[in-house]
Amino acid sequence: MLRSNIKTTQEDLLEKIQQTEDVVFKELFTKVESIKVFYIKTLSDEAQIQNYIIKPFYEIESPTLFLDYLKSHPKVKPFENEEKTLNQLLVGEVIVFFQAKIFLFDLKMDRQSSVLDTTVETTIQGPQSGFSESIGTNLGLVRQRYPQASLNMESSSIGKVSKTKVITLYDNKTVNQEVLKKVREFLETIDIEMFQSGEQLLDLIKKSQRALFPLMLITERADRVAINLAAGKVVLLVNGSPFAVILPTVMKDFMSSMADIYQTYWVGCFFITLRYIGLFISIVLPSIYVALTAYNPEVFRVQLALSIAGSRSTVPYPAFIEVFFMLIMMELLTEASIRLPKAIGPTATTVGGLILGQAATEAGLVSNIMIIIVSAVAISNFVVPVNNFGAAIRVVKYLLLVLSIFYGLVGVVIGFLLLVSYLVSLESFGKPFLTISEKKPAQN
Amino acid sequence: MNRYLLYLLLVNMLTNIVVYVPKILIDYKYDGAVSAILIAIPIGLFLCIVFCKSISAFPEQGLPEILDQLLNRKIKNIILFIFSGFWYFAGFLTLIGFTDIINRFINPEMSKVSLAVLFAIATCFIIQLPTEKVMYIVEIILVLNVPFVFFIVFKALTNEYFSWNSVFEVGTHLFSWPSFKALSAATYTFSGYMNVLIMNRLFRQKIKGINFIVIGFLSIFNMFTTFFIPIGFHGADGAQEYLYPWTTTADCLRIPYGPIERVIFLFLMLYIGITVVSAAIHWHVAFEFLKGASSKKFTKKKALLILIIFSCATIISEMKITAVQTMFLSTYWLILRFIFEICVVTFVFFLARRKKNET
Repeated sequence: MLRSNIKTTQEDLLEKIQQTEDVVFKELFTKVESIKVFYIKTLSDEAQIQNYIIKPFYEIESPTLFLDYLKSHPKVKPFENEEKTLNQLLVGEVIVFFQAKIFLFDLKMDRQSSVLDTTVETTIQGPQSGFSESIGTNLGLVRQRYPQASLNMESSSIGKVSKTKVITLYDNKTVNQEVLKKVREFLETIDIEMFQSGEQLLDLIKKSQRALFPLMLITERADRVAINLAAGKVVLLVNGSPFAVILPTVMKDFMSSMADIYQTYWVGCFFITLRYIGLFISIVLPSIYVALTAYNPEVFRVQLALSIAGSRSTVPYPAFIEVFFMLIMMELLTEASIRLPKAIGPTATTVGGLILGQAATEAGLVSNIMIIIVSAVAISNFVVPVNNFGAAIRVVKYLLLVLSIFYGLVGVVIGFLLLVSYLVSLESFGKPFLTISEKKPAQN
Repeated sequence: MNRYLLYLLLVNMLTNIVVYVPKILIDYKYDGAVSAILIAIPIGLFLCIVFCKSISAFPEQGLPEILDQLLNRKIKNIILFIFSGFWYFAGFLTLIGFTDIINRFINPEMSKVSLAVLFAIATCFIIQLPTEKVMYIVEIILVLNVPFVFFIVFKALTNEYFSWNSVFEVGTHLFSWPSFKALSAATYTFSGYMNVLIMNRLFRQKIKGINFIVIGFLSIFNMFTTFFIPIGFHGADGAQEYLYPWTTTADCLRIPYGPIERVIFLFLMLYIGITVVSAAIHWHVAFEFLKGASSKKFTKKKALLILIIFSCATIISEMKITAVQTMFLSTYWLILRFIFEICVVTFVFFLARRKKNET
């Protein structure tokens, strides 16, 4: 490249970037040569710039030797075009102008590299730390747990403005090529300005494929990622987010917790069964209550029917209003306890849950049995180990409830049937959502 | 073993119990129902075997694809239209009959029409899915429901009020000349294999002999439960008093220590799933036939139109038809279906021959 070309590139770059106080453009001189460095000091590591660029520049005497040093340094990339250079500058690389050459020196500062404790998917035993918010550290964590030569990765950037780095990880030996192709296509079609975390992908699925249930698993656990890589799944790591995305995901992945494999086999089975029972209860119980009190009290034994009717005797309105009232109160309580600062959280739930429930029954607004049902629903909903899936279940129970209001018991059964058919119709990157058993991936 | 074939037959056998077949058989209990059942088993099994063997000449192909190769367009479309009418009617009768049962036994205060709307919507949601997914749903519903159905049958057979004398009394009419109506009703047990015309798309391997042995045993068991259990409970003469003998029989049972004491609720709740799935299989086949007959690209709008026609026809006729009329309709439909089934089997048999000759 000619010196004049460099001059124009340099001027262009300077022109395009706003001259704020953290933009540094400096020329360093020795007797023979001069070098120009261009970087943003809030993004780049100045100590490293001192070590890797400035010191060698003054210590290496001949300019040709320094040029060789720049060319052969592993952190240095050659100049490609202006556009790319500007982008790299904006993520923290240092641009070095030396003689008739331009180099990009990767001296980014990694501020969020500390590994965080798991807070969402906690287990009693097993590894306790999750990912960090830095993609490099996360990649390292995965590599550490998955030391396989066949581990492959593809880097891409998503987001027109944010240009977030996303790494697609998979094991070449076990990955399903069709799934991989679909994942690539999916990543290419994403059209968004700000992309900051893997969870956003849930929302970004194309309109025609919008689903109530999440079709990818978001996890903060490196052990979960490693185990899924071995099972032939594709993992997306997003820069700046301590959550990884696992694709494709089927329902049984949502119902399994990492704790299952840190137990003896039968205990693990018991826990899984327990979760499915919880799932069933939280979906069906409110609508069953409406169906049985308002439509078909004769289904149960007479004693039970009478005791339900007796407990409802003070309640002045139909069963479905009672159920709606309590369910909405419960949802509000859950939402509020997420938003509240940690110090006030327990107080709010106590006030809401205990006192409100007690007072509501005493005032004759809801029946005692209703309180039992609402709390059973709330508790069993939290048994679902993955948060996104639990949230979907929270919504589903209302659909069943509406059917039971209009059709009673028949509505509940048909609603459940419809739910099953809907789940069957879902697919996560080509894999049926209700897949129960998966064959061990063939080694390609 | 080909499990999808088994599911198709099993669903048919199970729906068999609940809607019209027991009533027709019990009406002819002294006039040739027993002998008709005994003849129906070899006839049904024979048709089933011939059909399955012939269609395995076309692996992974449904009827529309098969006709595409062997016949010209117009004849193909006419055949597909007639076929889809038959299948639609099968699902239609099941739905109409079952909404009547639900109306009588679970929700007597609700209008039948609004029940029909619910059932039609549920069925339509299932039928527009790909064939493979329809079979997944069938599988899930069967796995969830069949153990309980067997539990109910077990409960019925071990019940102290089950009168074996009545069963034997009806059994003594074994040698009366078989009635054609009863015969056509009894062969309906096997009719599930006809859906293979579309579901064959999923069959990769040839159907093995063991399937037919299993089917044979299941059908004997099914005929016995369909026909004799109501007789055992209500007596040889009492059983014919009811429009839905099996549902009333389920109401005779109780589980004294279970949370649900009256078995009829358990029975009907299980059967809501089974009947919807059964109607969905029939309508899915009808839907796929129409899809195959449509000349240009099959758009979403066309699919929606078919679904609307399917469900509206059901809902409107639910307003007009009485239970007795449906009973009458289904008796003659069963006869027509029996003849139609023989024709279809012969037709497929010759198609398979033609294909073999060509290659």
